[in-house]
Amino acid sequence: MIKDFVKGLWKENPIFVQVLGMCPTLAVTTKALFGLSMGLATTFVVVSSSVVISVVRKFVPRQVRIPIFTVIIATFVTAADYFLKANFFQISKALGPYVPLIVVNCVILGRAEAFASKNKVGRSFLDALGMGVGFTAALIVLGAIREILGAGTIFEFPIMWKGFTNWIVMVLPAGAFITLGLLVGVFNILDKKMKTRREIAKG
Amino acid sequence: MEQLILVFIAASITNNFVLTYFLGICPFIGVSNKTESAVGLGIATTFVMTIAAAVTWLIYHYMLVPFNLVFLQYVTFIIVIASLVQFVEMFIRKTSPPLYKALGIFLPLITTNCAILGLTLFMVLRNYNFLEAIIFGLGAGVGFTLALVIMAGIREELEFAEVPKPLKGAGITLIIAGMLALAFMGFGGIISG
Amino acid sequence: MIKKRRENNTLRIIMALAVVGILSGALLVLVYNYSIPKIRVNVENETERAIKNIFPQAEKIQKTKDDFFKVTGAENKVAGYAFIAEGNGYQGIIKLIIGVDPKFTEIKGMEVLESQETPGLGAEIAGSKFRKQFENLPITQKIEYVKNQKPTKPNQIEAITGATISSRAVVNIINDGVNEVRKNVK
Repeated sequence: MIKDFVKGLWKENPIFVQVLGMCPTLAVTTKALFGLSMGLATTFVVVSSSVVISVVRKFVPRQVRIPIFTVIIATFVTAADYFLKANFFQISKALGPYVPLIVVNCVILGRAEAFASKNKVGRSFLDALGMGVGFTAALIVLGAIREILGAGTIFEFPIMWKGFTNWIVMVLPAGAFITLGLLVGVFNILDKKMKTRREIAKG
Repeated sequence: MEQLILVFIAASITNNFVLTYFLGICPFIGVSNKTESAVGLGIATTFVMTIAAAVTWLIYHYMLVPFNLVFLQYVTFIIVIASLVQFVEMFIRKTSPPLYKALGIFLPLITTNCAILGLTLFMVLRNYNFLEAIIFGLGAGVGFTLALVIMAGIREELEFAEVPKPLKGAGITLIIAGMLALAFMGFGGIISG
Repeated sequence: MIKKRRENNTLRIIMALAVVGILSGALLVLVYNYSIPKIRVNVENETERAIKNIFPQAEKIQKTKDDFFKVTGAENKVAGYAFIAEGNGYQGIIKLIIGVDPKFTEIKGMEVLESQETPGLGAEIAGSKFRKQFENLPITQKIEYVKNQKPTKPNQIEAITGATISSRAVVNIINDGVNEVRKNVK
């Protein structure tokens, strides 16, 4: 059971390994806070839709499963969007049209199709939660790097020395692509190191 | 007329969907290996985008707004896009088998392409009129094709380059996309006049 | 036998789609009814905060008509008027609130309510450095913008480097808005 949760954090991390759900990942991570908010919204949608889909999985005719999954996901996304607008107005303004785009985040439909439609509620819940947390963590890392270099702050606190020139390119689209590309590379190196260490430990 | 040209150029070049809004990245990373398939996917997407813009515009302004159902926007739009892709697939298969052979395999990929839903949402946000919406859809499609084909061209050459091992695949693709995004920013001056 | 099964299947598909559609609609109506009043309050608070930023002496803000506010300071003295204006920016609609003095001769300040401009470049229209330029800017003639140099005339402001389009959009929105409001007030 625990495995279902843990795999989303590292081994099958939706961003660094599967490279899925790119548009929100790249677009909203100009600041760590936005990355966190987008991550939480996505986690909410992936968890609630996975649970619902897992509950109804036996009643859904195979031919129309994709449209039904999509409608369920879109419903939760709308709910999340209105909730943000009602309670976190500033954040929802900053995320703009990228909240509705969670609907087409392939991570969510991917989980529904590959896991929730085949497994019991408990496992689907853990699987979705793991993916959500892994997604959120990656978004915060990306947002933090771009915020530190692009604006000299982290979660709005200035941390760079006086006279630090902001790297404007980091908050531009180009910076998003390049940072994520390099992060994927770093991830691969770390992953390989960990694997060899584990093999050595095994003997 | 000037406004329409502006909408087209903005959607296709200066505010390129892939390189400035990050929309449609999944196929961008997945399918941009071969120039030929990139062209195919690009044309199919442009086709669906243009029709999707027109249809969702009509639905939004003549159904959702008058009946005060705007909160059903996302659900409606995604259903419209999914069924539209199905219809287009069936229509092409019946009317033009050669075209279907060329585009058919790309069509199912389009439903989950966030560029289409993104297009319809932006269209509403920006208050475009019907004609502008269609041009916007067309421009966005052309821009998507452009980015996809350029990327495919570069990646074909990349096979002969020595890419550091950890960056192979997604990593290097993203970095190249970053450089393309920088290059496309240079076009920003076109509409500043 | 086979035919009957297929009919059953079609029925099941339609049923499933209908049930999902109805449940989804019902849930969303609930969410909608819960959030709409809150969102309305948020928008009002945002507008009020912006007006108070422009007119620190404001004591009373009256909405006299849509998107138009009368601002009164101490002892019922009219401090000025504020109005909302919007137009197309580089990446989408920009919505501004603009404060003017009671005689309509100069701008007291402006705030950005909504924009989708590029972070780090166009988004700087909401930054204080750019906004400060509009404080006490005369509107007896059209506002103009200059690129990469200090303004030489009183009705000029300096565009943000690398974000001329966003800067120009703001200037246009203000010019059009001022014209519009003037026509309606007279």
